[in-house]
Amino acid sequence: MDVDTIAAISTGPGVGAIAMVRVSGPEAGEVLLQLAPALDEIPAPRMARVIDVCEPDDGEVIDRAVATYYRKPESYTGEDVVELTCHGGVMAPRLVLSACLAAGARQAEAGEFTKRAYLRGKLDLIQAEAVSDLIDARSRAFHRAALRHMERGLSARITGLRESLVHLESLLVHHIDFPEEDEPPVALNVIAEEAKRVVQELDALLATAPEGELLREGALTVFAGRPNAGKSSVFNALLGEERAIVTEEPGTTRDALEETVQLSGFPFRLVDTAGLRESEGRVEQLGIEVALRYLKGADIVLFCIPAPEETSEEDRSFLEKITAPVVLLETKVDLTDGPERDTTELGGLAGAIRVSASSGQGLDQIRQLLPELAYSGLVGSLGDQPILTRQRHIRALKIARSEVELFRSSLKDGLPAEIASTHLRPAETALEEVLGVITVDDVLDVVFREFCVGK
Amino acid sequence: MDARYDVIVVGGGHAGAEAAAASARAGVRTVLITPDLSRIGQMSCNPAIGGIAKGVVAREVDALGGVMGRATDASRIQFRMLNRSKGPAVWGPRAQCDRNLYPVAVRCVLDELESLDLFQEMVSDLVLEGGRVTGVRTRGGITFYGTAVVVTAGTFLRGRIYMGQEAGAGAGRAGEAPSIALAEGLESLGLEMARFKTGTPPRIDGRSVDFSRVERQDGDDQVIRFAAYTEEIIPAQRPCWVTWASDGLKKVVSDNLEKSALHGGEISGRGPRYCPSIEDKVVRFPNAPRHQVFLEPEGLHTTELYVNGLSTSLPADVQRDFLQTVPGLENVVMTKAGYAIEYDYFPPHQLRHSLELKEISGLFFAGQINGTTGYEEAAGQGVIAGINAALKAKGEDPLILRRDQAYIGVLIDDLVTRGVDEPYRLFTSRAEFRLLLRQDNAIRRLGLLARDVGLLTEKQALVLKDRLDQENKLTAWFHDTKLAPNDVDPLLVEAGSGPISGPVRAVELLRRPRVQAADLLSAGRSDSDIGNPQEGLRAGVLRAVEVELKYEGYVGRERERAARLEEQSKLLLDHDLPYLEFETLSYEAREKLARIRPETFAQAARVPGVSPADLQNLLLEVRRTRAREGRSL
Repeated sequence: MDVDTIAAISTGPGVGAIAMVRVSGPEAGEVLLQLAPALDEIPAPRMARVIDVCEPDDGEVIDRAVATYYRKPESYTGEDVVELTCHGGVMAPRLVLSACLAAGARQAEAGEFTKRAYLRGKLDLIQAEAVSDLIDARSRAFHRAALRHMERGLSARITGLRESLVHLESLLVHHIDFPEEDEPPVALNVIAEEAKRVVQELDALLATAPEGELLREGALTVFAGRPNAGKSSVFNALLGEERAIVTEEPGTTRDALEETVQLSGFPFRLVDTAGLRESEGRVEQLGIEVALRYLKGADIVLFCIPAPEETSEEDRSFLEKITAPVVLLETKVDLTDGPERDTTELGGLAGAIRVSASSGQGLDQIRQLLPELAYSGLVGSLGDQPILTRQRHIRALKIARSEVELFRSSLKDGLPAEIASTHLRPAETALEEVLGVITVDDVLDVVFREFCVGK
Repeated sequence: MDARYDVIVVGGGHAGAEAAAASARAGVRTVLITPDLSRIGQMSCNPAIGGIAKGVVAREVDALGGVMGRATDASRIQFRMLNRSKGPAVWGPRAQCDRNLYPVAVRCVLDELESLDLFQEMVSDLVLEGGRVTGVRTRGGITFYGTAVVVTAGTFLRGRIYMGQEAGAGAGRAGEAPSIALAEGLESLGLEMARFKTGTPPRIDGRSVDFSRVERQDGDDQVIRFAAYTEEIIPAQRPCWVTWASDGLKKVVSDNLEKSALHGGEISGRGPRYCPSIEDKVVRFPNAPRHQVFLEPEGLHTTELYVNGLSTSLPADVQRDFLQTVPGLENVVMTKAGYAIEYDYFPPHQLRHSLELKEISGLFFAGQINGTTGYEEAAGQGVIAGINAALKAKGEDPLILRRDQAYIGVLIDDLVTRGVDEPYRLFTSRAEFRLLLRQDNAIRRLGLLARDVGLLTEKQALVLKDRLDQENKLTAWFHDTKLAPNDVDPLLVEAGSGPISGPVRAVELLRRPRVQAADLLSAGRSDSDIGNPQEGLRAGVLRAVEVELKYEGYVGRERERAARLEEQSKLLLDHDLPYLEFETLSYEAREKLARIRPETFAQAARVPGVSPADLQNLLLEVRRTRAREGRSL
């Protein structure tokens, strides 16, 4: 009774040949009938029908569209859904939407279709989040990770871990509740071993978290070097055609340029800062501060020195302070034909590449090296295993991990099983919260399935 | 003859006896009506009380001033603490009882109660006025009027006994007539009804057992008692015996499966998975090499043994044949054949937490009629139904135990919230706060509550106070006493723990693995201001304090979880919420909620089939409903 019918333009703004208006809710079919007076009844589900869309008030034809009806629960939201594929552009979609609203639908809030899909059990929480990630994805790698989540890769893994915990609990229940049975209880050290395996699996997932999180934002890659070291030229060359959306943070470009770019499919936030030389010039002074701020959070530092110039003491003392991997870029190699620089005096570099922004020399090497540095765990294996990209998942899995580890260690320390087992429920709960799924206490079911119990 | 009482209890099994006792203790005029007064407190199945979780319930019943603990102590012929090798939080006291002494002991306790009358007759109908019960009528035409009626009919409602393929015979227990009129009367009230089944094993003549071929199992610690307020005289002790059935038995059972009432389709009701018939075991676990068989003494003055583990509904001759395949029983003489019984129960979602029917004011159900199994489960419900019937008669609010307060609370909440799809038995795993619900602290959890609603006699209340004082004193001693290295290093090293460098509080040493409270007490004697605190301690006090302190961190963590849950319980749900109209909830959730009608949001969360998403939506729906009615959430 209180569920209303919602509608929204589901395709993005801008000019395109077609656009889609989606209607979801108990009145979706009614809305369609009002928009298309030529229809005598709601079309058969999943059959595309060409209709003239009319204003409900005066019957004026607004557009010609393809209407598809989905009957609940076999739809994206799990409710009755009508999808109207109309002409694109500025006017047609808006007119179709306002006709839907006039026919009784309410303008959907952002994300409301997916929220309804979650609340109706069509998607678990991870999948619902993945839908928004897929839409937001700005790199091929992140898109693939999101797609894996969408396909229940992560959900299946976490569901499996939860089942392992339920199984552990059932072994304990057999141990505690059925002491006089035909089969002796499973030894506690066997249970501890099983718990260790769960901890290892959680560790494997958590190990993807640092790079998974980078995947969401892009690895912060900071150009450093004296003024006129050729930083901006390499920066612009790397942006080239790969240039992506400019970061929306206002103000940053005044003191440093930041651009998101994908290199070999992986996202990077490239930052070009002002020169590093101590100077009286106010702009450069500001530039140094900004540079230091960025440098603190940097995942990779690209340190630029023009090939013809000597390495200075100042360069060395700067590099000593950097904790992130440093790649030396010898710039302007087209201006010299001298031998390669001896880089040993610069300390442990993650790599050294000779670059020319004008000839393009070395750019491919950068595109290859940076993903290996920032995403070593993912390069090559992306798409094979689920990756943690969200703080919410990471936090919950960390709780689960520490509880299972406490469970294991307390069994090892000889604490009674029922004391140790107080760590299992919180671990299960943490995993269930990630999935946002129904919690059924099926521990006893497992016991009765696996053991012959009862006198 | 007509009679007037405040509370009428129908039935005299473990639920009925407790209900009658609790009601009478609470000071209202009570009558217990049952077809055979000599069978009050009868043990219809195995001659034992207690076990894992069940033993804790028996102690809870006792802490609430009940009958079971005293009757068990007075009739026990073997005592064992199950799970002794495991942590004390899951210890389960269990006693084998003399089948004849137990009912005598129950009757003795009931006879102490001035407000309780007994009457022998079968109740055939309820008297109702509008939506409330006002009395019962017996088969002989006598009407008893009362403000509240507690029905504890056990397996008697349209009970049918099955053995082999013979058509079942009507019976409430072997040799006793079923209650048919009462079942029909209750059904005519519009209550939902269903069938369950359960079974018993054969009994044998101990003189025909070759005891050289079976394993003897003696009892242990006699110091531990079920009854905390009263010391009964414990009878002489007897051993149990263990043997193992294997291939020979499996063959006899498999060859005759089609003759089983349980497997031949005679019985439609569901049976308990944890108490399977031997037919079930053989069919479901064909690869199990052997099955344990316990031979339990029926009493001190009989040679009869109860063959626990071989419950069956096969014909008597097949029972004898499979018994004789079991080592030690080659020449056994069977004295009673096992049988299956099928009976009516009322799906318990129709009850409130007070065990009063939602739809019929003043009518309470307790025991197997609610779909449970087990003496202890029945007794626990009996106490609650009895006290609440009495409170109803007095016009006071009901007593409801929480899930973190007692296994009885877990039991009743599970019944009314989750319903049953097989006869319900308690396990420790049903309790989310297992560490809080221990056999050693039943008194601390429930004693004061019992005293406050009038379930304890003055004398019992004094014992309670003394005991709690002792626990508090002892707890303080462990917190306040610092022990010196000289005094405790030997015992620490003995326990495999490291020595200490300076004085350390006793409680901290107690938390070390394997360090025992009793040893610390002896070691600290010289430092104690209160003399030797172990002297004159009541049984169980030291153990209770030790467990509480030793696992304080874990126990505290459970208490915090329980407190968080309690928060959700403060959000009350109206009884008449239109769940079926809440379209944002899944269909399953709407149906389940409409059926259960939870009283709080926390209870709604425990209804099976209600997902977290449903709960979010429920909250929104309730807000909308209340906003429309101009109320706040």
